[in-house]
Amino acid sequence: MSISPDEARAALAAAETGRRAVADEVGLPAWYWWGLGACWIALGTIGDLGTWWLTSVATLVFGAVHSWVFGRVADGRRRTSLVTVSREVAGRRTMLNVWFLLLAMIVVGAGFALLIAADGARHPGTIASVLPAAIIVAGGPRLVRWSAGS
Amino acid sequence: MTDVAPRFDELIHPATRLQLVAALAAADWAEFAFLRDRLGLSDSALSKQLSALEEAGYVATDRVLDAGRRRVRARLTSAGREALAGHLAALQELLAGT
Repeated sequence: MSISPDEARAALAAAETGRRAVADEVGLPAWYWWGLGACWIALGTIGDLGTWWLTSVATLVFGAVHSWVFGRVADGRRRTSLVTVSREVAGRRTMLNVWFLLLAMIVVGAGFALLIAADGARHPGTIASVLPAAIIVAGGPRLVRWSAGS
Repeated sequence: MTDVAPRFDELIHPATRLQLVAALAAADWAEFAFLRDRLGLSDSALSKQLSALEEAGYVATDRVLDAGRRRVRARLTSAGREALAGHLAALQELLAGT
């Protein structure tokens, strides 16, 4: 088989185009980010009600449901139902980085809630939860794309 | 891909087929509709390419029932992965020698 260098370059570019078509699909489903943001605000609102048992139950239920969902989607390989990206292409850091994002948002949310509570706000939990929820919805997909190197 | 023996493969060298094989190599599986849309192929062109690759043992297709609709999923076989790796290695080797 005789191939010129230009043909070889064109063939490698074609292969990269094909790989990229799938690599661009790395991510978590949109419903995960929106659902997480909504639950975050709901938890903040429940916390503001001041009913300790309700807050505890809601937190436990959220934690259990989230960990179940997280284990299924956080590797970034199933953003849509049309393709499952290979583990090598999705990268190993995706799940870890999503975890770091969630931990950081807990710290940001708690810190923000303490600040506005000290300032005398009536519903610090609800108000403070909007910031991490917005960061999760807007920044989560970008973080995953960055993790996958796309 | 460092331990792959460079080997040109005429079957997967055409650009459309190489794109298709490289896309499948990046996935565990992909649906027909996804490949058609992302690679900009017509239904008949994609069917033809998949049939040629399936005949060579490079691709396997499955028909799955999802929400009452029959969907075709394609995946690269280990022979297909080896062929792609060997072909890419051969192309890179050729360029390295220029």
